[in-house]
Amino acid sequence: MEERVLTRNIGRPGSETLKAYRDSGGYTALSRALKEMSPEDVAERVTRSGLRGRGGAGFPTGKKWSFIPKGTGKQIYLCVNADESEPGTFKDRLLIEKDPHMVVEGTALAAYAIGCRRAYIYIRGEFVHGARVLEGALREARAAGFLGRDVLGSGVDIEIHVHRGAGAYICGEETALIESLEGKRGHPRLKPPFPAVVGLYGCPTVVNNVETLACVPHIIERGPEWFASLGPPNNGGTKLFSVSGHVSRPGVYEVRMGTPLRALLDEQCGGVAGGRRLKAVIPGGSSVPVLTADDIDVALDFESVAAKGSMLGSGGVIVMDERTCMVKAGAVVARFYAHESCGQCTPCREGTPWMERVLWRIERGEGQSGDLELLLSMCVNIFGRCLCPLGDAAAMPVRSYIQRFRDEFEYHIRERRCLAAGGFS
Amino acid sequence: MSPKPIRAKNARTIAIQLDHRAASCPEGVTVLRAAELNGVFIPSLCSHKDLSPFGGCRLCMVEIDGMRGYPLACSTVVQDGMSVLTETTAIREMRRDILELMLSEHPSSCLICTEQAECRENQYTIRKSGVSTGCRTCPKDGQCELQSLVEKLGVSEIRHPVYYRGYEAEHDDPFFDRDYNLCILCGRCVRMCQEVRGASVLAFMNRGPKTQIGPAFGRSHVEAGCEFCGACVSVCPTGALVDKASKWDGKPDGAEISTCPFCALGCQVELHHKNGRLSKVHPHLDHEINDGQLCVRGRFCLPETTHHHERARKPVLKRGRYFREVDWPEALEDVASRLRGLEAGDFLMLISPDLTNESLYTAQKFVRSVLRTNSIDSTARWALPGGTGVWSRLFSLPISIEALAHADAIIAVGLDSRFYFSVAGVQIRRALREGAVLVTIDSRDSNLARVADHWLRSAPGMEGRVLRAMVERLFSGDAGAAPHAAAGCGIEEVSLAKAVRSIASCRSLAVVVSPSAFAVDPGGELAEALFRLEGREQTTFLPLMHGTNTRGALELGALGELLPGFEKADDAARVSLADVLEGRARPKVLYLVGEAPFFERPPCEYVIAQDIYLPPFEVDAFLPAASFVEAEGTLTNVEGRVQRSAAVEHLPDGARTGRVRPDWMIFSMLAETLSADGLHFANAGEVLCEISRRVAGFPASGDRRPRRTSPTVDILPRGAGAHPPADSARRLIAEPGGFRHRGIDLSHVVEGLSELRLEEGLRLHPDDLEELGVKDGDRIVVHVDGMNVTGTARADADCAPRSVTVHRPHAYGGLAHRQGLQCLYRFDGRLLNVTVSGHRNS
Repeated sequence: MEERVLTRNIGRPGSETLKAYRDSGGYTALSRALKEMSPEDVAERVTRSGLRGRGGAGFPTGKKWSFIPKGTGKQIYLCVNADESEPGTFKDRLLIEKDPHMVVEGTALAAYAIGCRRAYIYIRGEFVHGARVLEGALREARAAGFLGRDVLGSGVDIEIHVHRGAGAYICGEETALIESLEGKRGHPRLKPPFPAVVGLYGCPTVVNNVETLACVPHIIERGPEWFASLGPPNNGGTKLFSVSGHVSRPGVYEVRMGTPLRALLDEQCGGVAGGRRLKAVIPGGSSVPVLTADDIDVALDFESVAAKGSMLGSGGVIVMDERTCMVKAGAVVARFYAHESCGQCTPCREGTPWMERVLWRIERGEGQSGDLELLLSMCVNIFGRCLCPLGDAAAMPVRSYIQRFRDEFEYHIRERRCLAAGGFS
Repeated sequence: MSPKPIRAKNARTIAIQLDHRAASCPEGVTVLRAAELNGVFIPSLCSHKDLSPFGGCRLCMVEIDGMRGYPLACSTVVQDGMSVLTETTAIREMRRDILELMLSEHPSSCLICTEQAECRENQYTIRKSGVSTGCRTCPKDGQCELQSLVEKLGVSEIRHPVYYRGYEAEHDDPFFDRDYNLCILCGRCVRMCQEVRGASVLAFMNRGPKTQIGPAFGRSHVEAGCEFCGACVSVCPTGALVDKASKWDGKPDGAEISTCPFCALGCQVELHHKNGRLSKVHPHLDHEINDGQLCVRGRFCLPETTHHHERARKPVLKRGRYFREVDWPEALEDVASRLRGLEAGDFLMLISPDLTNESLYTAQKFVRSVLRTNSIDSTARWALPGGTGVWSRLFSLPISIEALAHADAIIAVGLDSRFYFSVAGVQIRRALREGAVLVTIDSRDSNLARVADHWLRSAPGMEGRVLRAMVERLFSGDAGAAPHAAAGCGIEEVSLAKAVRSIASCRSLAVVVSPSAFAVDPGGELAEALFRLEGREQTTFLPLMHGTNTRGALELGALGELLPGFEKADDAARVSLADVLEGRARPKVLYLVGEAPFFERPPCEYVIAQDIYLPPFEVDAFLPAASFVEAEGTLTNVEGRVQRSAAVEHLPDGARTGRVRPDWMIFSMLAETLSADGLHFANAGEVLCEISRRVAGFPASGDRRPRRTSPTVDILPRGAGAHPPADSARRLIAEPGGFRHRGIDLSHVVEGLSELRLEEGLRLHPDDLEELGVKDGDRIVVHVDGMNVTGTARADADCAPRSVTVHRPHAYGGLAHRQGLQCLYRFDGRLLNVTVSGHRNS
């Protein structure tokens, strides 16, 4: 069994309580940092640890923090992105519900590092239980002096608020999250200016993922070198993977960065369910390009997955066995993005519903000969031309499904039925 | 949040490359603007000069050296030495793709129809249809930005399956129709409503392909508090939002720049005309006054006012019990015969302050030189509380509308800019966006109070005293201030001090005072405070009054005691409006020029009405005047600008078009009939020339700079100041109504205005209504000054608590339903204690 870092408390009874968290050494990192380290030290350690954002883009966290301009006299805000809505991704939810104090401590450390006095955890509206657990954890932490005015006698004020979203995928995009937090409609903003300069209420703002911040206490406690050593170069630490689909044991798994995908699927998850053949794997949530069964020897780090033409993304691994109809899979994915498009920019608002309609048309056996070209040209139309990455997120999977399983799409159009065994609707 | 724009006047010029050609532009502008300044076309459907960048349409993508991908011209700020390519093959292809996507959800069959050319040739009239399925059945055909872009970029096929959203067209609200099937979701209307107008009525609803524009929570526009300023309609690139009245007129033949005839701000408008008839009104981009903004009256009410079926267009004489349409010579002869041989005191002319300078001047000249009396008066007097002396001095202050937008601090007294003087409100908002401080002094809630840094909510009628206290403190500082200057005004000493401190360090200050504040300030304290501020550096004023050309009426001698240019007139045997209303005088002949301040025929032997509508009572002679679009002229706005009012309808005499004449010409013809000299003018320009010779500083033509008067009129002793109300009583506030034009109330002829029911009934705060146990719409009785007046109660959350507000119209035309309230209208200015009792409608 690999060493568990982020999930070390999970599975223990009462893991969400302050007592359980402190028993396992919780909040020592925060008290050490406040007593012994300057904010710059904390940031510097995070930079050296090679921690990269766990929300999907994999941007180096230390670098992100360094973009906050110094000496503007403005408030600095930290937003924790707990709007985990990517299909196939459910790791942040586990952390929030089972070990909220780790998230709180990480948030407090990050706030200390960037000079923020007020942080907001923007939690997905549907995570009702998670929001309650977090509120409880914040209450406990406040009562114990880990939050509020003058934290642990250090003279530093750190307050954290929980803000529940209202059920929009787009609010996981950082600028839409900020708009929503300000009480407005979740429309992404034009960039530049980036949130690090003009963010929440016009002030410098950092937006970090839940899992990213949960790593921070461990980096402070055990040192950046230890964290970096857990993975290949530039990919420090362990990573949570939410594995779902046709595997024997779906669930959240913590493995070191760089672990081969095959090892994750076969050793940890017990392989494809029912002994069937593997057909495809989406490695990082529904928005990333699909990998075929031939590609699963890839190491799970940002660069290696990118080299295979996909992305590590949020670590939402969706496994599809031989019975899966890729046309239907594509249509389902397109339906999601069409439904979640915010409606602000033309390519995404008009393009994603068309993609969805054409895919369902093929799936129903009503496809026409030019449909694949039409779909691919729509992907071109959308990719890179939208206001925010949501359009890309819709175009990437569809394009990859067609490119990698073109035979199956053509069969669907030609024969008006499904090639995949048993998957025909 | 977008980067704060660098103000144009401070920007330095930088050099850039546009499509490999050297170009220059001011620093801080967007690439889109820089291209526009250099005559390079970049298509965009969502950007607008007054709005923050949105990045929605994605049509303005360009290539910029050193930048990844295709940045948006509308949101990228130019840098020195930047090299921009606005039109490459890739960009052209992308733009076409995007337009194709837009068209897949926009009823556009006509755009790609193969029979386009024949159709246009053979069926060039647009079809009036409930739903627009293509350009030929769309009211915006030929004026649509999307359409012209499609033609420009050459999109001729749509590869995507065409989809019709199937929304129901919305016709329920007044003034403009909405068909969101045509909407391309550019968001201009939403941003206009939020950023520029501050009304925030429109919002995006739902998301993704189901995104729609409209007021939140499914309310109607009226319910959501829409001002119907039409700013959203003006910026809509497609036919989604269109004026109700001119919807099916099609593309106008042309437009003339003119001045809005409905209030003293003198907004510049474009009168669009079709087939020699006014079609619709668009705001003109005149940065000195309205800069592309208007209010509901200017935007929507002109066509209906001049084209209303009740317009009276032919001379009428009363013959026994009958009224007969006659020719001009007969009418003139009849009127002239009554005017011959009148004694002093036998005649009174009432003339509306909504007339042009030319007509006002000719009228007073006719009365003075032909009839040899000074008996000319005007309801302009009602719009100038405090007296002509005070106002002639107010007009000598530096008055500026534009300065509001650039002020560091603004004090707004009694102004709610939603339906009155809304352009002033837009300018105030512009200043607020630049970081100005706003202090409002108002007993009522207002749209400005909601965004103000300090709202000093005084007791009704105490606004003047609060302003005076503020000004005193501004000059003397905290230490020297009289401690109880604002005592009894309902303002805490602390909040007054705070408000003063917030503006004390500001360099430029603008003070705007609304007519409703002046109306309840019989003591003249407001004017006194303004005069006290006169010496302060960088201070501008905006004292507002109702009546379009009230300032012109004052300057040109339409009030009997003053000759043109503020010279004093002989007072002997002069009859005034007040004399008639209060029964002190009974002139034999009453000549009403665009005035009808009576519900019933006044007790005179011979009543002449000269107007665009018949008055609400019987008259002996009616002379049809030309309306604001039928005759040329000039109007003087509050700043003293003499601005052109253009004629776009040149109607020949006829059965349908009638025989209307400009007012000045009618006086001229009358003078000729009376064989009097000196009133022969060939056109309005000649009158203006004579005015400029007679009145110092009045321009002869074409000069619309603001003017300051040099007052020579004495200020009359001021009346008693208002008293704080007695504890148990409510206050009666008789506010001047603002929806007048000449002798009619606009809400009578403009159906949309009457739907809004803005100036109707006895308005009380909802809490007060609850206390009285009545509901909105119930009848209540107001006991005032020994009288009982019954009227309809209206809940109005903006009203001051413990007060009853009634709008006092200046013109009673069309207001028969308000006759019961008439006795309240005489309480101008004075605040009275009233008791109110209500009963529910069964």
